Amino acid sequence: MTSLLIRCYPARWRDRYGEEFAAVLAERTLGPFDVADIVLGALDAHLHLRGLGAASHGKGFAMSLRIGGYAAILGGLLWLVALAGNAINNGGESPSPLLGYSIVGATVMTLVALMGLSAFQARSHPALTWAAFAIPALGAVVGLIAYAAIVVTGDSDTTLIGGVSPWMLGSIGLLTMVLGSSLFAVATWRTRSLSRTASGLLAVGAVLVVAALVGASGALPSPVVMIPVIAALVAFPAGWIALGVSALRIDRAGATHLEGALS
Amino acid sequence: MNPRIPELGRFAEPALLILVSLSDGPKHGYAIMADVEAGTGRPLGPGTLYAALARLEERGFIEALAPVDRRRPYRLTAVGATILAEQLRELSEFVELGLRRLGRTPG
Repeated sequence: MTSLLIRCYPARWRDRYGEEFAAVLAERTLGPFDVADIVLGALDAHLHLRGLGAASHGKGFAMSLRIGGYAAILGGLLWLVALAGNAINNGGESPSPLLGYSIVGATVMTLVALMGLSAFQARSHPALTWAAFAIPALGAVVGLIAYAAIVVTGDSDTTLIGGVSPWMLGSIGLLTMVLGSSLFAVATWRTRSLSRTASGLLAVGAVLVVAALVGASGALPSPVVMIPVIAALVAFPAGWIALGVSALRIDRAGATHLEGALS
Repeated sequence: MNPRIPELGRFAEPALLILVSLSDGPKHGYAIMADVEAGTGRPLGPGTLYAALARLEERGFIEALAPVDRRRPYRLTAVGATILAEQLRELSEFVELGLRRLGRTPG
């Protein structure tokens, strides 16, 4: 009877679940409820062929959480170097190459973090997560294209399409990415997938970076500018680092659970 | 309230029961069935169990461990734990709302 019921399932399903399913059926006396339930389950399996290749799928999402977490921490540290370097340089004409490298590195890491953490959060809130991902990711890509143009041309006065200079394009990309980071933070707050404290810190930090950039452009007097600059210097990198730590904690919780199971 | 485990349709309730069952540690199929029945007083059929397990595994909410004899234990993943916590929080808020409307305090 048991083998007949298992044969109702598709061959691929039996390859994956057949052995353990037979073990479950062997542990109980099958009544009419069980038989009807199994026949319906077999029909469902024929219709959907669920669960095949699922293990690699799940591991992929754990991996995206881990990569996103590490990238967020590294990106946060690089943003700290970049923002501090920019504040020390005070908008000078000859910034250190280290400042450029740290901005490019921070942008790349932020893009990777956005992808990894969004893939994790999209499990429960796909529309909100990917909408919030699109703007900062676009900003990061635009920024990286601009940085590449600056390296290739070596001349900030060169114009690209529409008479926009690489520096202008880079600034637009940077601003879009920073503002987009606040949208990403709000979406993260909403999904509750990662720490709400960290996402709140990132949202505030992103707004402060914009305020600092506006202030540094001459819109605010010097002593007043220092307030958002210092606050942004701390809050924006700290927000990314905290999000990364939160992601790694969730990942670690899963791993600890597994170790407990195997010990 | 937004009571759902994404896209699981009629398997949303069994899936929630399975996630709760796995929340205190890995279990194989029969242990999950016994645990759910003990907790809810209602039987969980083997066909329903494996249809829900396959969907949960496909979405990365649970993960299969190495089989012991013919039994294969499953464990909650980090994603699954997050989804479960969110689902239980929403249900809890809904319960509180219902009790308040009835004029009874929760707990």
